[in-house]
Amino acid sequence: MEFEENIKVAIRGLIDHKFRSFLTMLGIIFGVASVIAMLSIGEGAKRQAIAKYQDLGVNNIIVRDKELSNEELEEVRAKFSLGLSINDANVIKEIVPGVVDVAPQAEKDSEIKFADKSSKSTIIGITPSFIEILNYEAEKGTFINEDHCTRNLKVCVLGAGVVKTLFQNQDPLGKMVKIDDQWLEVIGVMKTKALFTETVGELASRDLNNDVYVPLSTFNKRFEFENKLSSEIKQITVKVKGSEHLIETAGLIRGILNRHHYNNDDFSIVIPYELLKQEEKERRIYNILLGAIAAISLIVGGIGIMNIMLATVIERTREIGIRRAIGARKTDILSQFITEAVAISITGGLIGIFLGVSLSLGISLLTDVSTFIRVYSVIIAFGFSVIVGISFGYLPAKNAANLKPIESIRYE
Amino acid sequence: MLIEIKNLKKDYLMGEIMVPALKGVDLKIGKNEYVAIMGPSGSGKSTLMNILGCLDTPTSGQYLFNKIDVSELNDNELSAMRNREIGFVFQSFNLLPRMSSLHNVELPLMYAGVHKLERKERSVKALERVGLADRMMHKPSELSGGQRQRVAVARALVTNPGILLADEPTGALDSKTGIEIMQLFDELHREGNTIILITHEKDIAEFAHRTIHLKDGMIFTDELNNKNSKSKKKQIP
Ligand SMILES: Nc1ncnc2c1ncn2[C@@H]1O[C@H](COP(=O)(O)OP(=O)(O)OP(=O)(O)O)[C@@H](O)[C@H]1O
Ligand SMILES: [Mg+2]
Repeated sequence: MEFEENIKVAIRGLIDHKFRSFLTMLGIIFGVASVIAMLSIGEGAKRQAIAKYQDLGVNNIIVRDKELSNEELEEVRAKFSLGLSINDANVIKEIVPGVVDVAPQAEKDSEIKFADKSSKSTIIGITPSFIEILNYEAEKGTFINEDHCTRNLKVCVLGAGVVKTLFQNQDPLGKMVKIDDQWLEVIGVMKTKALFTETVGELASRDLNNDVYVPLSTFNKRFEFENKLSSEIKQITVKVKGSEHLIETAGLIRGILNRHHYNNDDFSIVIPYELLKQEEKERRIYNILLGAIAAISLIVGGIGIMNIMLATVIERTREIGIRRAIGARKTDILSQFITEAVAISITGGLIGIFLGVSLSLGISLLTDVSTFIRVYSVIIAFGFSVIVGISFGYLPAKNAANLKPIESIRYE
Repeated sequence: MLIEIKNLKKDYLMGEIMVPALKGVDLKIGKNEYVAIMGPSGSGKSTLMNILGCLDTPTSGQYLFNKIDVSELNDNELSAMRNREIGFVFQSFNLLPRMSSLHNVELPLMYAGVHKLERKERSVKALERVGLADRMMHKPSELSGGQRQRVAVARALVTNPGILLADEPTGALDSKTGIEIMQLFDELHREGNTIILITHEKDIAEFAHRTIHLKDGMIFTDELNNKNSKSKKKQIP
């Protein structure tokens, strides 16, 4: 019998047994769909975490001034610590080995005004190293450079959110905005940043798009803190060469700063990369769980297929016997059943892929769980279920084809 | 001789015990013979028939079909043998339930590699031959018992086999329908077909020209029927 004929026989077989074919397919459909959905949830969580930490820089160590109450501040100052300072940043850059660059930043919550509009923003005094160390990008205009800093120029770069509030459709470049009692010229606009929605270590979450950047020197000269006891700067971002020695480097920095701050413990150190690794470790259990659920559903799918096959084995064995009695060779029988199994598996697999993709899109749309479908997960799910389908379809057929025709006709 | 059987034996293994079903059968059947096999239940009729139809293999002994030693054929050759040389009609019809009569009849031709158009033409002819021209698209469940058996006969005939084997073809039918099927066999015989059939009923066996009685796995009598004059008897010791 020719190949084409074989396919026709198999497809006819499937159509003649619509309900059975459908039941057999169900196992594959749900197996594939759940594997794709599960893996996409795991992958989504992973990507979210990586994106979050990438914003902070995987090679960075972040030193941050602790939020202290007034009494605590007074106590710390009484014990000689001046809090985080530009000097601290310079010292770190000079004596800690492996440090590529440092970005000190001063912060102040204030209102920024343009015409009749205003926006509550965090004014951040920075040095030019900031943009490179934290992977920021200017959307329009330029970022703050060395010249702005040395000349204490009254310029600022706006976060995308601030631009939206103050300027709507106008071009902000070259406009003068007012912060406190100072007028500054807008020289650049930042690209939109993913919302920093989760608290990372000891870094509180906030909307980075509402930040306004000014030269650190200008900040020091032109702005005043409400609290006279405030530290000179709020944060030092330290960029280290490679991520292998982050912990040792952080230890070194802690030691130096402790000495400078007279062991006042008024700063904290966050290593985003270590937090990422930590989180990955925690997520592993979650991933194993997801994988186990997916594996179980594939197994259940396989058992489903086997069940249908066993339930129909008498009918099918007789069918095989009859076909053999009128002249079908073993290979005719086998290719019929393999073609049937392949057709069922592929159809079921495709429906399963469709269902799984919809499911994972649905999950990310309707819940706050983010999902991401990787091609390999689709291939794994599809491949595995096709293998399961073919094996469970093939084995009973092979056994039946190996019986003597009379035995399969009489099979009960 | 179309069929030559020498000292054919068949044992079934039931757990630990060997149950002999055929204990040494010798038989010769020529072209265009019409043979009825009778005998009590369990005497080995079906066992013999299944071996003749290449559905089963003997434990020992020789089976020559058209001078071909069947025991030396491999599985594919046996399949081809069943396909081309043997038309088998079963008591329980053994049609594929979800296929139309036409498709059921086409199946052997499909396994023979006959092209679609020719296949359809020959199948239609075979169904017309058994009087089912108006039931081509019916599924077995939509047919009466007699009609189903006619489909089975058409399926057996469609490849123009060397021999038609029927194991109690009327066993599942009422006597009137049974007689109709036998008349069909009678016509087929007159058209030149070689027929062997198993039956329990004497009046069915009388359609044949030769009756073989089996008893305990051996041939007990083998006699020619003579419908008009007295039947010539040939006793086998
Ligand atoms: N598959 C089998 N396994 C074991 N024993 C079998 C098998 N088939 C037949 N037999 C035995 O072989 C003997 C002959 O059986 P067979 O079916 O040939 O009888 P039969 O003459 O066709 O009887 P009936 O008229 O009832 O159809 C019986 O004793 C039966 O029990
Ligand atoms: Mg029998």
